[in-house]
Amino acid sequence: MSQPRVEVEFDQHAEAYRASYPAQAHELREQCPVAWSTRHGGFWVVTGHEQLSALSKRPDLLSNDHDPAGDRNGYDGISIPARGTTRGGFIEMDPPEQSEYRRILNPFLSPSAVQRWEPLIADFTGACIDEVIEDGRLDFVDDLANVVPAVLTMAMLGLPLADWVVYCEPAHMQVYTPPDSPNFDTMVELTMQMHQRLAEYVQIRKREPRPGMISALLDARVMGEPLPDADVAGTVSLLIGGGFDTTTSLLAGSLDWLDAHEGDRARLVEDADLLNLATEEFLRHFTPAQGGGRTVTQDCEVAGFEFSEGDRVFMSYAMCNHDPSVFPEPDDVVLDRFPNPHAAFGLGVHRCIGSNLARLGFKHMLRKVLRRMPDYRVDRAGRVQYESIGVINGYQHLPATFTPGAREGAPLAEVMEGWQARLDAEPYESSD
Amino acid sequence: MRVVVDPELCQGHTLCNMVAPDIFQLRDDDGHAYVVVDELTAAQEELAQKAAVGCPERAITVTE
Repeated sequence: MSQPRVEVEFDQHAEAYRASYPAQAHELREQCPVAWSTRHGGFWVVTGHEQLSALSKRPDLLSNDHDPAGDRNGYDGISIPARGTTRGGFIEMDPPEQSEYRRILNPFLSPSAVQRWEPLIADFTGACIDEVIEDGRLDFVDDLANVVPAVLTMAMLGLPLADWVVYCEPAHMQVYTPPDSPNFDTMVELTMQMHQRLAEYVQIRKREPRPGMISALLDARVMGEPLPDADVAGTVSLLIGGGFDTTTSLLAGSLDWLDAHEGDRARLVEDADLLNLATEEFLRHFTPAQGGGRTVTQDCEVAGFEFSEGDRVFMSYAMCNHDPSVFPEPDDVVLDRFPNPHAAFGLGVHRCIGSNLARLGFKHMLRKVLRRMPDYRVDRAGRVQYESIGVINGYQHLPATFTPGAREGAPLAEVMEGWQARLDAEPYESSD
Repeated sequence: MRVVVDPELCQGHTLCNMVAPDIFQLRDDDGHAYVVVDELTAAQEELAQKAAVGCPERAITVTE
């Protein structure tokens, strides 16, 4: 027997969700772990971990496909409400097509492959901190959390490192602008410009190959055919979006938490090994990438719920990560929580391909902040969360003060030049 | 006792390797897990059980 449909008015972009996060999850789940929201044209919202698990194992029934031209099915991809006139890379594809993209890119992003980027992460983290260390104040977002993941992403893509600033604001705006914002059209325009610029880079890489993810995509053949240019550009755009905003948000959320919980901060300083479990707990609690949309491909029953072809489904990783049936005291941050089978990187075949890189970058930045500005205090008046946290649970600003210290290395501009020269001389290849 | 990772279910979350690196290793190409021990010692069995309940994909099973 399937469950009766329970209607709610849930909007992940609304102020009510942001202001109460994660509390609204419990209210919704108690009404129904898979409820029907009447907002944004109607969609199912999944807040139960068990239901999320079951649904995530059925990519045949729940499609990520985005087909704005209506060539295949007209599905709306992963954004609810739908946005954009281009497909957002392989996260808006289904297997087997999606699997081919991941097969090509996995060797750049496996746990062993990402280790080689640690020296770059270390140098840029150090340089960002050096830029502010004598001042005794910084904005964790502008001065550190935005910079390191963005430069790292540029390096991995084989794009000019200094170009990170060009993509930074559009990448953030596209996730924090709510659909009803007066800035929505500006955001769409900036996103399209970014997409255009990346499409041009893809053409440049075709003429001038260079080891890296873009050339790997261009060199690949699937059933003897090259990948479509538009999907290669969409994939580069996806890697920028995934690389820029998520680790940034995780670091800002964690530093904000550790400002308000000094005992936890002290424990992390004293016990270096705790950071591994703590990272998973911060991932669970904040869930930087909050969830994703799907489209039901056929009338079906999954996890006791009946779905119809064309139904939209919002897989809320964030709200499932606060399900008390799997995570006792779900709204507390328990640094050594284990087991912690969280869905912060998604579940199933769409698991975040950059998860290993995200962990590496996050841990390095957090460790260095705790070492070099151990007494930092967040300036709460200047703290600005994203207007909508429905896509990414992040911050625009997180200013802080601390006891000034001494520089340890070269200025940021010099580090940037040095790494650019090093990468130009010897581009990093994948692990195979 | 033995432990197995279902390759169809594993998606490379890597949490098993974090808690029990002597039992679970990660493939170089995609970070998916595989088991490197045959018979589990009592201490390993406990770790393997922990890894199983901590796996987001429920891909790990401890068996006779």
